[in-house]
Amino acid sequence: MLAEVLLAALILLVTFAFIVTRRLRAAVSAYAAQSWLLGSLAIALFADARVVGLLLFGILTIVVKGIVVPRVLRRRTAMAMAGRRETAYYVRFPTALLIGGALTLTGFIAATKIPYPHQLLPGSVLGIALAVLLLGLFTATARRDAILQVAGLLAAENGLLLAGLVLAPRLSLLVEFAIVMDVLIAVLVMGFLVARMHEEVSSTDTSELTRLRG
Amino acid sequence: MINSALLLVLIAVPLLTTVATALVRSDRLRYRLVLPSALVTMALALTLIARVLSMGSIRALGDWLYLDDLSGVVLLVVVIVSALAGAYSIAYFRSEEQGHVLKPGELRKYFVLFHLFTFTMVVVSVSGNLALLWTAVTATTFASAPLVDFYGSREPLEAAWKFLILAVAGELIALLGFLLLYASGIAALGSAYNFSIPVLGGAGSQLTPALAGLGFLLVLVGFGTKAGLAPMHTWLPDAHSQAPAPVCAMLSGAELNCAMLAIVRVLALATPSQGGHAGELHGALLGFGILSMAVGVVFLISQRNVKRLLAYSSVEQMGLIAAGFGVGAPLAVVGALLQMLTHSLAKSLMFFNSGNLLLRFRTTTLAEIRAVAGVAPVTAILVILGALALAGAPPFGLFVSEFSIVRGALGGPNWGVGAVIAALLLLGFIALVAPFSRITFGESAGERPQRPRTDLGAAVLAPGFTLLIAVLILGFWVPGPLHALLIGASRVISR
Repeated sequence: MLAEVLLAALILLVTFAFIVTRRLRAAVSAYAAQSWLLGSLAIALFADARVVGLLLFGILTIVVKGIVVPRVLRRRTAMAMAGRRETAYYVRFPTALLIGGALTLTGFIAATKIPYPHQLLPGSVLGIALAVLLLGLFTATARRDAILQVAGLLAAENGLLLAGLVLAPRLSLLVEFAIVMDVLIAVLVMGFLVARMHEEVSSTDTSELTRLRG
Repeated sequence: MINSALLLVLIAVPLLTTVATALVRSDRLRYRLVLPSALVTMALALTLIARVLSMGSIRALGDWLYLDDLSGVVLLVVVIVSALAGAYSIAYFRSEEQGHVLKPGELRKYFVLFHLFTFTMVVVSVSGNLALLWTAVTATTFASAPLVDFYGSREPLEAAWKFLILAVAGELIALLGFLLLYASGIAALGSAYNFSIPVLGGAGSQLTPALAGLGFLLVLVGFGTKAGLAPMHTWLPDAHSQAPAPVCAMLSGAELNCAMLAIVRVLALATPSQGGHAGELHGALLGFGILSMAVGVVFLISQRNVKRLLAYSSVEQMGLIAAGFGVGAPLAVVGALLQMLTHSLAKSLMFFNSGNLLLRFRTTTLAEIRAVAGVAPVTAILVILGALALAGAPPFGLFVSEFSIVRGALGGPNWGVGAVIAALLLLGFIALVAPFSRITFGESAGERPQRPRTDLGAAVLAPGFTLLIAVLILGFWVPGPLHALLIGASRVISR
């Protein structure tokens, strides 16, 4: 189990990159790394527990979320990079760090309150999963850049899948397949809208989109 | 056997229509595909609902697909709204083609997404596996967000983006709820079980109460975002006002109900395990409901645009439906279920009206539309009667459903809740009817630009009239099978 816990800790560490980075490319790389770690964790878990679904889940995660999705996002960033390099927050940077820390703590505390039936992974991994979920949602709502918002949502989803490995590792393969497919569609639609945004306001800074009020 | 096959055909028809729409060469053929596909889908849906009424719930593909009375209500709403929105889309774009310029390929994109959107909502209504239910609700977001951006300028893009980010964030929170719901069944059903409605429903009170309850609350907050419940509703007025009128009808009339179905379904699964604490789950739903009604009513007052006004009315109405389910008394639950249907009929009618006003007056700003009754009398009849119907005036269907929600709430232990709901409905009535009567009968203050007295064509008015007649009939008479369906659905929830 040590390998799995170590991989989970690395996932959390990589997720902090979303909070501190000022560059789009770094965020996409962080997402790719996060997906690789999650996929590896599932495969390691398969090696311990021999649940075939986990192996397929791990491979799917690495292929779709570790390779395909980052490639799509990188293509979008290449276009956006021409416009802007700095990627700002809606809140001030030190505040963002503080909120990030608080959310991580919240995730760990919340995990101890959930009376879930123990499966394969220890409870500390659930804490990591919830922290990753919250950090991802925070990135999605507090960052100004559209691509970072997408990356934040995708990171949050990885956190959820990690929570899924803790809470329900034997939930059937089709379920995970559906979830991974969903990410694929998400990136296509979001990629399309990001491209539209670039065409409309020639950047992916969502603070340019504030005409609708009331 | 035949039932399962019918269920598969039901989801295959809109999917195949999507593919066909993408493949055919001419826009004329694309127009021609809309109605046959919608009518076949509707016929299949009605057949299946009739079979559910006579034989009980239908299951297919190892419970991946499932249809019972509760999902039947939403299926009915989805097929009716999408059929009429399809008919209206054709008439709307044909009239628009004369004044507005549609770029080549735009109609193809529109109808492909339109059928895809219908498909995802049909799948929501017949999902038996809860993971499929989550996936399908999520898929409705991805099919509808590009439709919100259809007009392709800055405001629609902003609306679509806000919708996408908030809806997906909500869906992720709901997913955590579904995972906890799965975990709640492990003690009773083992660590690997079929995560489906009948299986979890069968386990009933054996689910781990804390996990099932927490799961429901997360699904409520997550999908509540998508159902337009306050305070997570902030995306809704933007998205539901920027999309083309027929899409608005689909968003407000059908999609919101799909999210509500998922919430209520999880409520029905989680409640039996809660014992004496079941009231807390209902209370949470009631709280979001009342808050949404209040927020909806307050914002109704300050709106300057027809579509934004209608969007805030959706926040109020979804709040009412949530409150009806939250009250939990059988009468209120039946009322909430009927409200899903009557609201979607009246709201689609009003969004079609907003499209008609746009076609006739080239604007949806309330201040710029005056004297509709003088300029286009038939359009005006639809506008004013539609507004009265949506506001819940007798003798329209919404009066019946709202009345039974209020009566159900007044009859409960907490009659104050009923009083609050009734008061908010009354305020909402005034806030909604006043602006529409102003644009229908009011004369503009300054010099009145002379508009020729011409009405719109029959094709754009017909879908609206169909809805008006339907919502009027429901005010006098709820057909026997529909009544049976509503009663059956209310038993699923308050078992």
